[in-house]
Amino acid sequence: MHATTDAPAVAPAADTPSRAGWIARHRRQIGDAVTVAVLILVLFPFLWLVQMSFRPNDDIFGYQLAFSPTFDHYRALWTGIFAQSFTNSVVVSLASTALALALGVPAAYAMARADFKRRRMIALWILATRMAPPIAFTIPFFLAYRWVDLLDTQLGLIIIYLTFNLALVIWMMQTFFEGVPRALEEAAWIDGCGVWETFLRITLPLSAPGLAATAVICFILSWNDFFFALILTRTNASTAPVAIVNFIQYTGWEWGRIAAAGTLVMLPVVVFSMLVRNYLIRGLTAGGVKD
Amino acid sequence: MTTGAMAVGWNARRRRAFLAGLTPALAVMALLTIAPAVYLFATSLTPLNLTMPQTAWDFSEPHYNYLDLWEDPRFSNSVWIQTKLSATTVVLQLALGLAIALLLNVSTRIRRLARSGFLIPMVLPPIVVGILWRVMFTVDVSPFHRAMAFVGLPIGSLITDPSTALWAIVAVETWEWFPFTMLMMLAALQMIPDSPIEAARIDGAGSLQLFRFVIFPYIRHALVVAALFRLIDSVKAFPLIYVLTNGGPGDVTQVTNYYAFIQAFNFSLWGYASAIATLMVAGTFVLSWAIDRLTGAADARDD
Repeated sequence: MHATTDAPAVAPAADTPSRAGWIARHRRQIGDAVTVAVLILVLFPFLWLVQMSFRPNDDIFGYQLAFSPTFDHYRALWTGIFAQSFTNSVVVSLASTALALALGVPAAYAMARADFKRRRMIALWILATRMAPPIAFTIPFFLAYRWVDLLDTQLGLIIIYLTFNLALVIWMMQTFFEGVPRALEEAAWIDGCGVWETFLRITLPLSAPGLAATAVICFILSWNDFFFALILTRTNASTAPVAIVNFIQYTGWEWGRIAAAGTLVMLPVVVFSMLVRNYLIRGLTAGGVKD
Repeated sequence: MTTGAMAVGWNARRRRAFLAGLTPALAVMALLTIAPAVYLFATSLTPLNLTMPQTAWDFSEPHYNYLDLWEDPRFSNSVWIQTKLSATTVVLQLALGLAIALLLNVSTRIRRLARSGFLIPMVLPPIVVGILWRVMFTVDVSPFHRAMAFVGLPIGSLITDPSTALWAIVAVETWEWFPFTMLMMLAALQMIPDSPIEAARIDGAGSLQLFRFVIFPYIRHALVVAALFRLIDSVKAFPLIYVLTNGGPGDVTQVTNYYAFIQAFNFSLWGYASAIATLMVAGTFVLSWAIDRLTGAADARDD
């Protein structure tokens, strides 16, 4: 950044440099060291849970780093009811993401390209949907689901996850489509392509990275949900986060197994979110920030 | 002439095509958001209690729940707890997020990698955040508590002590969401052009002056938007409270959201819970409108 910080840290000059001079010359290295220290401090609870999940039960609270890791806790989870709820989580998250994309992508394209009067009102509606407190959705959905027999079903969850996923898809994809130059589409129209044919052949392929990022964020939001799943499911359709809580209620705090379950549940989102890091902020502020 | 007529036909066709793309999504959105909102509001005007079927659709005293809310000390207490939680977490998240963003706003290999690492708390499933902090807050289990005991300063459980429970939740909520403000601050910092910073340095501005008079004006808008987003989302802190304190001890961590949840799902007072939720939606709308105005004004300025 500044010329001084780029000075190579070579053999010291004949006269001992002052302390301030040393700090100025090593600004970059000191900053890096502080960054690493703060990062380790911040991630400590996270790392602690992961290492706990591999410790044998007789040493579960140990702090020696040298221990022989065991997969017993994971194995115990896989034979229990947890496996079913993990499958539920995968199915519900994937289905809700797919449905939100199928409905939301064409709508986002129309929002990006059509000039109609109520555009701004629809944008505000989408923002309000994202902001609304979940309790405001759960009460009417719970009451309605009692009538139509959707309590404790995968379909019931897929539908309620659309409340946030659909708004997110429309918002995010709209900004990606706006980034595609209209001139490319106009060339295809002149060649006789229809609106949606042009969209499928030109605009959508050019927005593929954005589409992938949007899909991943929808998946993460569905996967992470606890509140809706807690209220709308019991046993058949319960998702992994709810299964952990049920498990704690039945068997108490069995730390090793809880740590293993927590690690399994967070593994996919940590991996996925690193893939879409650059799009995360756009997704999380959907409706409020234009970039 | 003919090309003009063709253009009109084409525009009409385009319009129809866009309408066809927009309609299914908006219809589903209406069904999923407007219908429940109407249902919620209607329920809030009834004394609905699922153990007493005759209470459904009883609109004889539509304002009853709202009058009740007005006089319910547990409700006003929950609003006060929510206010304390929201205000402190938003301020702490802004401070921590900005500090770390400033640290990361230098492009070295390590700091580019660290930007990803710092995101982890925010993307974790909230229930897992609750669990890993439950580990940290359980006296016999937590490495933190054992380290304090080891150096001769044992401390009691922070989540079962009424005087510290809310602040324990504040700490965890801050930990979970500072990456959000950090990301927004980092994005804003990277938009600042180099020239004013260089000019200020040449004029001999110190680090603090540089921040106050050059950097701060550039990020002020992002700070306000980040604060509003976090303020609105702080109302959703449910899983943490559920796993760490369950609203207790007593009701010191019973935020409004949690109070509504208990009224409906523990006491079956659906009408009453709906009235609370309706008020919460109204509050969110006001804040969303503020965000829309702020970002809309910013867009108008940029254009």
